[in-house]
Formats: sequence, structure tokens, C-alpha cells
Amino acid sequence: MSTLNLDVYMPVVILIILALLVAGGSLLLSKFLRPSNPTELKLTAYECGEAPVGTAWSNFNVRFYVIALIFIIFDVESALMFPVAAVFRKFMSIGMGGTLLVSILTFVLILVAGIVYCWKKGDLDWVKSFVSQELDKK
Amino acid sequence: MNATIISYLSQSKEFNLIVAWFSELFGFDATSFVAFNLFGVFALLLIGFAATVGGLGTFAERKISADLQMRQGPNRVGPYGILQFLADGVKLITKEDIIPAQVDKFTFYIAPVLCLVGVFSALSVFPISSGFILTDLNVGIFYFLGMTSLVGVGIFLGGYSSNSKWSMLGGMRGASQIISYEIPVTITIVMMVLLAGGMSMGILVSSQGSSVLDWNLFHNPFTFIGFFVYFIAALAETNRAPFDLPEAESELVSGYHTEFSGMRFGFFALAEYIEVLIVCGIATAMFLGGYKVPFDLGTGELLNQKLGLDLMLAKNIGQFLEIGSFLTKTFALYYVVIWIRWTLPRLRVDQLMTLCWKYLTPIALFNLIGCAVWIYVFNGQSIVQLFSLLFKSSGGGH
Amino acid sequence: MFNDFLFLASAALTLGGAFAVVWVKDLMHACIYLMASLFGVAGLYACIGADFLAATQIVVYAGGVVILMLFAVMLTGGASNKTNRYGLEKIHAMGNTKTKMVAGISAFVIGLVILKIMVSVLKAQPVSQVGANENSVEKIGTLLASDHILAFEISSVLLLGALIGAAIISRPRKEIHD
Repeated sequence: MSTLNLDVYMPVVILIILALLVAGGSLLLSKFLRPSNPTELKLTAYECGEAPVGTAWSNFNVRFYVIALIFIIFDVESALMFPVAAVFRKFMSIGMGGTLLVSILTFVLILVAGIVYCWKKGDLDWVKSFVSQELDKK
Repeated sequence: MNATIISYLSQSKEFNLIVAWFSELFGFDATSFVAFNLFGVFALLLIGFAATVGGLGTFAERKISADLQMRQGPNRVGPYGILQFLADGVKLITKEDIIPAQVDKFTFYIAPVLCLVGVFSALSVFPISSGFILTDLNVGIFYFLGMTSLVGVGIFLGGYSSNSKWSMLGGMRGASQIISYEIPVTITIVMMVLLAGGMSMGILVSSQGSSVLDWNLFHNPFTFIGFFVYFIAALAETNRAPFDLPEAESELVSGYHTEFSGMRFGFFALAEYIEVLIVCGIATAMFLGGYKVPFDLGTGELLNQKLGLDLMLAKNIGQFLEIGSFLTKTFALYYVVIWIRWTLPRLRVDQLMTLCWKYLTPIALFNLIGCAVWIYVFNGQSIVQLFSLLFKSSGGGH
Repeated sequence: MFNDFLFLASAALTLGGAFAVVWVKDLMHACIYLMASLFGVAGLYACIGADFLAATQIVVYAGGVVILMLFAVMLTGGASNKTNRYGLEKIHAMGNTKTKMVAGISAFVIGLVILKIMVSVLKAQPVSQVGANENSVEKIGTLLASDHILAFEISSVLLLGALIGAAIISRPRKEIHD
């Protein structure tokens, strides 16, 4: 059993650490170079010159969450597709390309059916028009 | 397959001499130690290069927008105003860091850093050339996808932490825009992985040939459409106009980065410009032949045989030619990105979502199916190869 | 040596992040620490050579599920109450002493159970890891396409079910006006 060569991941770790160092370093540098005159006005939220009124987030719309749900489904689907897509050429070279093609097409078409369903039921609409709501009620 | 810049350099005599010297000094095999130091040096160089391109990107944006709007851009600082980005950097560093009283301190500090970390760590698979790519991971393109989604989290947290209406709305819109447009990007990338037969950057680029006709762009009509789908979707992912609703200047003041001042805003802006560079780089790697040089000069073999140069020197010259080829194509795409910003009006948020879910995603899925069927039916040959076969067979008939 | 460093850093990130998720009082901060913990898990996958799993962990979990959780927290209004901007009640169970005690006891018990299972597994056979030059993506792809093709297709049906279910549940209730 040969030992694993993890040197491949060195740049990843190095770059993450370097990014943190660059961020921290420039903020530190900035701390020495910048003025610091906090006033009462500067500490309030920016609302085009008026005093802020009301809570910051009163009306969360469910459509953000629906979009995130549909996104995660398709994300997992593509994560599953990646290894199969990577071996497609190999399978073709040994003659099993047809079966793999059918498998891939089945996989994709099942999810296309899903997105067609969401489309028809109006889950992909960002703004539900009054017309479609009226029609739904009838 | 898991090649890194170290495995390229280890072909040279000088590297082996250095390793031997250190091994003698330390008493154990110093390959990892030397590799670590060299990785550090090259990572620093790459970050410096990316940051410079990011800074020059701001300058280029101002100059190109000025050109499009028939006025002079910045031309005071340095010759032709080229040092303007340094002046901007100095300005940002010396600005007062105003932290409003109502912000959530922890997320306020973390949000810009998350954007920067995501973008910098995506640089580790940036395919500038076949030898100098920092690390050619087996899952290169997949890893790049993951790191760019960190920017979405950073934007959301930036909007949330500011605790003000404008920022919150900008942050929510920004995050939902980024995650929506990740789907056409991912599906198009799956299509290119299908075509190339592997997920690493090296395989994606080497599946293309050197001449223009061998690029993946012209392989089949589905990849041609796929390039535009990828380009539009990746542009939307970087929150650039015409998709810059989260930072819409005329509507939300400044969206999710309203409350960030000084260097914190600088991190957001730098992350955006570097992300545009990365997106353009990946687009060239997947569709425009990446770092391949015409007439296959990049491998150095031609130079070695024709001019009789030493093999390692020929390879190094080939690498620099490859870097040049890659950067030319990337910067051409960068120019197009800047050009688009100052030409097209901004999309409304529902138009944005409609474009993604009702146009780009179905087109990307259709491309995926079409490309898979094409590869199966024509045994992976491109249109160009099919035409040449046609002419050969018809020509050899008589 | 870098192997050890990578393992220690990933393990510290995983455990530290998980610990912080239970400890902090703010739900949003807990989500961020969860993301850090998931990054640690991705690092652990990378340590044993499962690079595709590590990348999938980053793409799906850190890039997808965390955003989903952040949106869900915003939807249910469980966010911070440091300022009165949200006008919401404090979540009593977060960062409470009782919560920490219960968490500590259950972690101890679960840890004992897992150790007991692991001891029997470790004694049975040597632990294997992916070899140095093997391409895990190709192996996974080949297995998915040949041996486990049924699982592959059924997973797509499962995803379809999840998609339709999620769409139905999150649809706004239409009221029937007469």
C-alpha cells in the first residue's frame, strides 16, 4: 500500500492561508493609516439622509426559499452526473457507449420532467401575476 | 494526472540539485519541504498577478467606458493614467473604517474575507499553462465550482450583517442570483466534461487541438451554444452588469456593500474583478483552446527539434508561449465583459430569474442531451473532422 | 509532514466548528460555524484520498446546503435579536447552560457507542485508503455506470420526488373566496 501524496493540496491550503493573511494584513495596515473620528451620525444606518424607520427585514418572500430548494436539487443532480460524464468516453471506447447514453438520458430526462412540472405550476415565476391567480381560483 | 507545478519543475536538473542540497542539510528527504516553499512562492506570485489584474481591471473599466462614452478616462496618475488603480488602493486604505452601531460584528468582519478566500483559493486551479498550473487536481473544475459558491455566501452575509433594508434586499437578491445562475454553469460544465472525458483542467484543455478549428467552441453546435450559455450565466454569477441588481447603484444605493467602507469595500470590489478574471480564464480553458499555442509550439518539442535547443529550455519557452496564448484569450474575453457592462441596461429582478430558469437552464439541459447524443453517434468527432472526412472520401472517390 | 498538518487542521476545523455550533447563542453565527465544520469534513475526505468526495462536499454542502439553511433561518425569523430591529423573541434553547449540559452528555454517550463499534471494526481488518496514483473519479464513475446503475437512476427519481415535494410544500396557500 503506497502512501498517499497529499502535496497536491498544498497550494489550496497555502492560498486559503494567504487570503486570510492578505485580508488581515491590509486591514491592519489600514488601521495605522486611517483617521478615526466616530460621530453619532456616522454610526447610524444609511437611509438616504433620513433616520431609519422600522425593522430591517419585515417581509421575507417565500420565493427566495423555493429558488434555493430547486437549486440544491439540481446541484446534487449535477454532482451525481459528473463522475458518470467523466467516464463516458472510456465506456464508448469499450463499446458500451449506448447503454451509458441511455442511462444518462434517463437521468437527465427525469429531472427535466421535474423542472417542467415546476414551470407549469408557476413555482419558477418571480412575480405571480394577478391573472394567473384569478385563473387558479376558478 | 495530479500534476502540479512541482512535478513540472522536478524535470529540471536545478530542482533536483536544490532538493539534494536540502536533504543533505536536514537529514531527511526534503522534497516536501522544497515543494512547500516553492508552492508558497508561486502562490504569492499568482496572487500578486491576480490582484494586479484586478486593479488594472478597474482602470481598464474606466478607460474602456470612457472610450465608449466618447470622453477621456483617468489620465493624470502616471502615463496614460495607468497608475490610477494604485491611487484608488491607497485611497481605500486611508479611508475611515465606519462600523455602524447596528451591525452584527462577527458576520460584518467575516463577509468580505469569505469573498476573498473563495476567489483566491479558486486560483489554485487556474490553468495558465500546462506546467505552471499550481495544482492540476483530478477534480479541478468541480473544486473551482465549489469555491465560487463561497462568494455567494459572502454576499449574503454582507447584506445580512449590515442590518439595513437596502443591504438586506441586496444581499438576498445577490445570493439567489448567484445560486440560480450556478445551475446553467454547472450543467454546461458537465457537458464539457462529457466531451473531454475528465474533470481536471489539463484534460479539459488537452481535449482541444492547437489550431482555431480544433477548439471546443467549434466542436459541435451544442458546444457553440453552450459557450454563450456559460458566458452569460457566469457573468451573472459575478454580479456584473447587466446583472448587477444586488449592487444596483440607482436603486439600492449600493446594495449589500452599502455599510462597508475603506478596505472592507475594497475586498468586495477586488473579489469581483478577480472573479471576472477567473471566469474568463475558465471559459477560455473549456471552449477557446485554453493555453494551446498554434502549431503546437507550447510543448517545446518543435523548438527542440527544429532549433536544437536544450529540452528543458525549449519546454520553458513553450510554457511562456502558452501563458501568452492563454492571457491573450482571457483578456479578450475580459474586454468583452467590460464592453457588455457599458452597453446593456440593467435587468429587473424578475427578468433575471426568468432568464435563468426559463431560458438558460432548459437550453443548457438541451445542450447536454444533444452533446451526449452527438458524441455517441459521431464517435466524438467534431464538425471539422466530419467535413474533412467527407471531402477526403469524396475526393478519393475518383 | 504535510499529511499530518492537513489532517490536524481539518480535524480541528471540524470539531471546533461543531462545538461552536452548539455553543453560540446566535443562529446565524451557528450556520457560519457549520460551514466551517463542513469545510473541515471536506479536508478529512481529502486526507484519505477521496478527492471527488471532498469536492462534492464543498459544492453541495458548503455551497448549497448552508445557503439553504441561511435562507430558512431568514424565512422563519430566527435570526439575532441583539438590536430590536427584527422585533423577535429570544430563542431560549440556544447557548443555554442546560443545552450545553445535555449536549455534553449525549456527545459522551454517542462517542462511547461509536468507539465500541470502531474497535470491533479496526480489529477485523487493516484500514485501507486510496492508493497514490488512483483516480477516484474514474472509479466512482465506472461503478456508478455499471454495478450501481439502478441506484443511479433511482437517485434521480428520489431527487424528482424531493423537487416536487419541496415545490408543493412551499407553495403559498390559496384561499378560496366566495
